[in-house]
Amino acid sequence: MASLIEVEGVSQIFETREGKANWALWQVSLEIEAGEFVCLIGPSGCGKTTLLHLIAGFMKPSEGSVRFAGAPVGEPSPDRGVVFQEYALFGWMTARQNVEFGLRMRGMGRAERREKAREALARVGLERALERYPHELSGGMRQRVAVARALVNEPRVLLMDEPFAAVDAITRTTLQDDLVRLWQQTGVSVVFVTHNVDEAAFLAQRVVVMRPHPGSIKRSMNIDLPYPRQRSSAEFAQLYAHLGEALGE
Amino acid sequence: MAAEKHDVPPAAVNANLTEREKLEIESSFRNEIVATRHRRLRRGLMFNLIGVLIFLAVWEVLPRIVPGVNIQMFPPPSGVIATLYGMLADGQLAAHAWSSLKRVAAGFVIGSSAGILVGLFTGRLALLQSMSDPVLHGLRSIPAIAFVPLAIVWFGLGETPKIALISWGTFFPVWISTFIGVRDVPKLYVQSALSLGAGPLNVMFRVVLPAAMPFVFAGLRHATAVAFVIVVAAELVGASSGLGYLISFSHLVFRIDMMFVGLLALGVLGFLADAAFAALLQRLFPWYRAERS
Repeated sequence: MASLIEVEGVSQIFETREGKANWALWQVSLEIEAGEFVCLIGPSGCGKTTLLHLIAGFMKPSEGSVRFAGAPVGEPSPDRGVVFQEYALFGWMTARQNVEFGLRMRGMGRAERREKAREALARVGLERALERYPHELSGGMRQRVAVARALVNEPRVLLMDEPFAAVDAITRTTLQDDLVRLWQQTGVSVVFVTHNVDEAAFLAQRVVVMRPHPGSIKRSMNIDLPYPRQRSSAEFAQLYAHLGEALGE
Repeated sequence: MAAEKHDVPPAAVNANLTEREKLEIESSFRNEIVATRHRRLRRGLMFNLIGVLIFLAVWEVLPRIVPGVNIQMFPPPSGVIATLYGMLADGQLAAHAWSSLKRVAAGFVIGSSAGILVGLFTGRLALLQSMSDPVLHGLRSIPAIAFVPLAIVWFGLGETPKIALISWGTFFPVWISTFIGVRDVPKLYVQSALSLGAGPLNVMFRVVLPAAMPFVFAGLRHATAVAFVIVVAAELVGASSGLGYLISFSHLVFRIDMMFVGLLALGVLGFLADAAFAALLQRLFPWYRAERS
């Protein structure tokens, strides 16, 4: 049985601001299993977001292949839900309408759509914000809506691009707890881009450490600490130090 | 910790407030906020009024005291108001204003619909943009009122040339701002829509167009101002009704007071149209800017 996501020998060339050619990714290979929680971590310019966008189908690799569920990745699809850092909710739609958008694109009827959106928002603790607009919600609540909007389509993988980077530290830990819970409940795969060591240590079953110039994978580390992880535990401190070292090498 | 306690002023130590006292303080605090706001507003309005009164007073006095000024040529506000009253009473002013407004509305609807459509497609499709850019920018550079004689040659003296000119003139600002709004729609909106399964048409009409609406609206607002300029120019020649006609007719019969009434009416209509757009903008797009601050 092939992996859910297979990235094989992928290189991605970009034009820099000065008009030069630059390899955002160089010969990257990575496999991600169904139900797996993987964090991509590395400094800026290491190509982690590029890799995520290739899996999402926002661009085609210059070289190599990206396969999803056995088939080459084509156009973006609700099978691969995406959560961005911020400002990706449609500002002119309420939370409910945002969550309903994908269902509507599938042609689902109004009543069913409403019910599903209500459930999805309840699952992220926002049943009372159904009719509120993104600009009326806090940063943390907006990201919950964004997660609900992706999850309501029952994707096989959730691609998350530094989704909690713009919220305050206290809200971030709550969002992380909730994400682990949702992941365990739904069995969805998660590919989570971050540059935060603590976040990767708290969330991931596997941490893929990347390096820049050119963007490539430095190490892949499995984490077998059970969930929910305790930040105060000695094991967590050790893991944190270990990951920090791997990044800094 | 003990040392710090002594630094607390006695009032705070004694402030063992009951729930009722707390509510009282809150409500008087709220009242104070409201009162301050009203006071500022009143002061602002008062000075607005004073400014207007000074302007009117100077205008009233000047024609009477400056030597060599014919009061017929420079009618003071009192005279203009008397004429205004007469023209309102016999319905003359309303009839002219209505003629102009109908032309403005018809031309505005046609021109801005075309502007939105063309802006949407040229903003989304690079090929269309490249093809249309030189022609559209070339035509845009010609002042719309320079086309008045051409419009008369082509469409005669009826309503058609006037509406065509206004459509022409309103098209460009709406097209430009729609184009910019569409071109600059945040990439994340489009990527989100695609990853939620939206096809090209849904991306265009459910995501790109609504996201660009604040820009479209700015264009529409600009277009109303343009429409009033053009309607006057078009009515100066070959019209038998409208505020532009009223002004040009007043000139022929040497009724400067009537001319002033026409100018005043244009100012009021233009101001109201713009204020309506400003109010709509706030109501329709509360998410714009608010989201990013």
